[in-house]
Amino acid sequence: MKAVFIVFNQANTERIEYVFDYLGVRGYTWWDMVMGRGTKTGDPHMATHTWPEMNSATIAIVEDDKVPHLLEAVKQIDQINEEVGIRAFVWNIENQY
Amino acid sequence: MSIYKSAVQKPITTIMVFVAIIVMGLYSLTRLPVDLLPEMDPPYISVMTTYAGANAADIEVNITKLIEDRLSTVDKLKEIQSSSIDNMSIVTLEFEWETDLDVAVSDVRNALDMVYDYLPDNADRPTVFKFNTNMMPIAVYAITAEDSYSGLEKIIDEKVVNPLNRIDGIATVSMMGAPKRTIYVDVDANRMDAYNVTIEQIGNVIASENRDTPAGNVKMGKDDYQLRIEGEFNESSEIRDLIVGSYNGQNIYVRDVATVRDTIKDISIDERVNGMEGMRLMVSKQSGANTVSIASRVQTEIARLQTTLPPDIKIEEIYDSSEFISNSISNLSETLMYALIFVILVVLVFLGRWRATFIIALTIPISLIAAFIYLMMSGNSINIISLSSLSIAIGMVVDDAIVVLENITKHIERGSNPREAAIYATNEVWLSVIVTTLVILAVFLPLTMVGGMTGVMFRQLGFIVSITCTVSTVAAITLTPMLSSKMLKAFDKNRKQSKFSYDNTIGKALDWLDRFYEKILRWSLRHKKVVMLVVTVIFVSSMYLFKFIGTDFMPETDESRINAMVELHTATRVEETMKTARTLENEMRSAYPEIVLISASSGSDDEAGIASLFSQNGSNYINFTMKLVPIKERTRSVFDIANDMRKRFKNYPEIVNYNITTSQGMGGSNTVDIEIYGYDFNTTNALAEEVKQRMEKVPGAADIQISRKDDRPELKIVLDKEKLAQHGLTTSVASGYIRNRVDGLLASYFRESGDEYDIIVRLKEDSRNSIDKLEEMSLLTPQGTTIRVKEIGKVEEFWSPPNIEHKRKQRMVTVSIKPVDIALGDLATVINSEIAKMEIPQEVMLHVGGVYEDQQESFMDLGLLMLLSLLLVFIVMASQFESFTNPFVIMFAIPFAISGSALALYITGTTLNMIAALGMVLLIGIVVKNGIVLVDFMNLMRDRGLELNNAIALSGKSRLRPVLMTSLTTILGMVPMAISTGEGAEIWAPMGITVIGGLIFSTLVTLIVVPVMYAVVSRHGERNKVDKLRKRFHFINTGEHEEGVS
Repeated sequence: MKAVFIVFNQANTERIEYVFDYLGVRGYTWWDMVMGRGTKTGDPHMATHTWPEMNSATIAIVEDDKVPHLLEAVKQIDQINEEVGIRAFVWNIENQY
Repeated sequence: MSIYKSAVQKPITTIMVFVAIIVMGLYSLTRLPVDLLPEMDPPYISVMTTYAGANAADIEVNITKLIEDRLSTVDKLKEIQSSSIDNMSIVTLEFEWETDLDVAVSDVRNALDMVYDYLPDNADRPTVFKFNTNMMPIAVYAITAEDSYSGLEKIIDEKVVNPLNRIDGIATVSMMGAPKRTIYVDVDANRMDAYNVTIEQIGNVIASENRDTPAGNVKMGKDDYQLRIEGEFNESSEIRDLIVGSYNGQNIYVRDVATVRDTIKDISIDERVNGMEGMRLMVSKQSGANTVSIASRVQTEIARLQTTLPPDIKIEEIYDSSEFISNSISNLSETLMYALIFVILVVLVFLGRWRATFIIALTIPISLIAAFIYLMMSGNSINIISLSSLSIAIGMVVDDAIVVLENITKHIERGSNPREAAIYATNEVWLSVIVTTLVILAVFLPLTMVGGMTGVMFRQLGFIVSITCTVSTVAAITLTPMLSSKMLKAFDKNRKQSKFSYDNTIGKALDWLDRFYEKILRWSLRHKKVVMLVVTVIFVSSMYLFKFIGTDFMPETDESRINAMVELHTATRVEETMKTARTLENEMRSAYPEIVLISASSGSDDEAGIASLFSQNGSNYINFTMKLVPIKERTRSVFDIANDMRKRFKNYPEIVNYNITTSQGMGGSNTVDIEIYGYDFNTTNALAEEVKQRMEKVPGAADIQISRKDDRPELKIVLDKEKLAQHGLTTSVASGYIRNRVDGLLASYFRESGDEYDIIVRLKEDSRNSIDKLEEMSLLTPQGTTIRVKEIGKVEEFWSPPNIEHKRKQRMVTVSIKPVDIALGDLATVINSEIAKMEIPQEVMLHVGGVYEDQQESFMDLGLLMLLSLLLVFIVMASQFESFTNPFVIMFAIPFAISGSALALYITGTTLNMIAALGMVLLIGIVVKNGIVLVDFMNLMRDRGLELNNAIALSGKSRLRPVLMTSLTTILGMVPMAISTGEGAEIWAPMGITVIGGLIFSTLVTLIVVPVMYAVVSRHGERNKVDKLRKRFHFINTGEHEEGVS
């Protein structure tokens, strides 16, 4: 099991929902309206007058074999327009009850 | 959940809400009456008191003064004026506008109750008269007849007036100058004396013979009969055979001492239409009724009634207010439509997308239709003010939608799908959209608080623009995102672009424009001092232009009508006046082929009552009303014709005075009035005459009128009280007798088929047409003897002023002057300098008033309004930007808007009138809007860490299109208004001109000056929050530190 942390411009909300549905990702936690900015590129998304855009974030817990598909989907979304902004990070699940 | 998110997620609800608004608006539209102007009750109350037999001076002392003193304490009274004329005192109270006149009327009544006891016994109870615009006739018809002339009154009354009265919404139909059937018993003075009968005797006999009396019931058998004694005359000739007395045992019949004439009343007024005998019919409507629909029903009804009349009776329309109204309204509707087309074209050119254009264009009808709901709820009408307000608003209502849609498009182009883009893009701009609307409200809402007559006009404008803009903002953050989410297509990068597609043609041109502007901006930022110097020079020199721009109160309109009042020598008899009227008529007919119809009334109709309050009357007056062909069918304007007419009238020696007016709607007659206050008639008369003579030399001063008429020759009989007493008479008894002999005794009424006609007994004309004959008149004493007038008094000839006018309880003469080919303000300046040269006696006070005074007051009001708007705009902006300097930078563009207006006024030769000045006030809001868009973005760019000049240049480039778009929509929206030449267009053209001029100029200047000013007042790095933070947390210095974090 892996945890995939996806942060994305909330303009991509519907696409992420669709990807989860498409790949059969069932378990996830979702935060609406979070702020952040990219490590290397990307404008801050701060919900201020200066930086009006906002992010949402989600951690999806998936089987190992789904991770490449998920990352690929994220990459495809990102390629539509890189300015909009979406990133995915993967953790190992050490333990669970 | 936010409003725009709900709107996008519930498209049906959103659509339904707006459909509801449209349905209600359209419903209101069908219910709204159409009128020329908003209904405004002029705050005037008149108190009329008749005191028969008193001359002007008596009236002044015994009636007017008492009433004035008592009424001057009534609440909310602004000014008190009075006019004392023979037999009558008229006190006119002017209240503050928007005073509740019903309350005022009852206050006035209470005050009058207190004064009534002190009035002379014979004076009638004062009547309180509330002036109302509804009393002005909505249509006037001329009725001419040949053979049927003598019976005209009855025919018209039965066949025209009664059917017309049945039309819903008509208040009164009144006839003026109708030939009235009257039965005269003209008594020969000699025969009367010979047979020893008196006028009173004859009158009594006629009255007591002409009577039907019920005499109770008679029961006969099973029936009950009413008993009546019938004495009423069936024929007027029966009067001749009445016995009035006996002389030497012989019966004396009326025919022995008098001739009985069943005829039409002696003329005191002569109504002619196109030179033919006739009368006038005036139709007035009930309050709140729809002028246009009533007038058109009256018209069709009259066309139908025409067929029922004898063939020689013709009905022609002299004046139909609905014609001007419907022409103005259709002209304005046309203007509105052109504005709509222009606005849509601008949006299409800038956006290049049909769907986007449609979404934006849709906000126009929605917000405009919402205004009808307001009009309906506030009980207003569709009039030229409300329609003009709509055409002012049309360019502004799209602005918010443009800003929202532009941002949505930007997001879609970045690859978001339309639904998400609609929500998040609106989220980014909704606040600034609301702020710009607040700025507009800050300018327009104060308009609703202006007082005075101008306030009544501006209230609708203020409310309509505020409401439409508010609705458009709501639509922009709900309907626009919702429609965008449904209608805009996701952006396709690989779409093939043809060579002539939008992106390759106009799009490229606009891109070039963006870059060009960026270059200019960067240059200006490097040469701030040069730029500031140039614009200062431009501003100062444009202010200099104001020296050449005249000032006026209201633009005059060409209503295709001319009214001319011609005054002949005092006491000219009406027969002579008529002759002059015919000559003038012929001359005007041949000189001005544009005239369709001339209606002339010479003399005065003493029974016309209220109608004659509107025009000057007297046997030596002629009032012409001329109707011209529509504007489009002639080359000369009514003003040209009126001017030419003035020259012609000067050539007639018998004309002592004339006054030509060209409009009666808005603006009325623009005059400068010089008020001369002073008690002594001779001093003030001389002064008024001197003013008149001086003013005649002033170029552009025309129609100079002195309100106090020349002294009129009068005859008075001075009775010797002692001699009266010896004969057992009193002054009132004797004067009653004399009145019966000269004016006539109304003995009784002759009744025929339901109508009553006066039977008047008096001396025949050649028994009372010289001083000798008046002195020979015999009166009956209580002792039964007859005495001659000369035995108890003598007849004297003297001169008396026919009218005495008061203002603020002081005697006053007004010299009113009409400006022709000169601005009102300029004329007033010349007049003031002329007056300064005059020697004015100490006890006399001069005051320059009239419309000029209204103008001054209104300009003051507007000046205050401008300050208020500026302050409110500043407040809104300062709180939005959380800064004192930013609003200042933005407002720096306002002076240049004024410069642009001055330039536009100067080039078009328009005078600075109320409407143009209002345009300048509106400019504040419109100009500031552009500045907000720019400065807001500059702040944003700097907050994002860009260097000052770079931030300014980039934001300029990015915001150029929205600024140009909102400016162009407003400018082009006003163009049809500014250049329209149809009916009623003159009123709003000045506003169109000022706004267009001001906006073009200020937009160009704003694009350069505002960024430069921004650079001047800003310091590099003041918005760099990172540096500030670093200073606060200087104690944290661990690990490597990356320099210049952005």
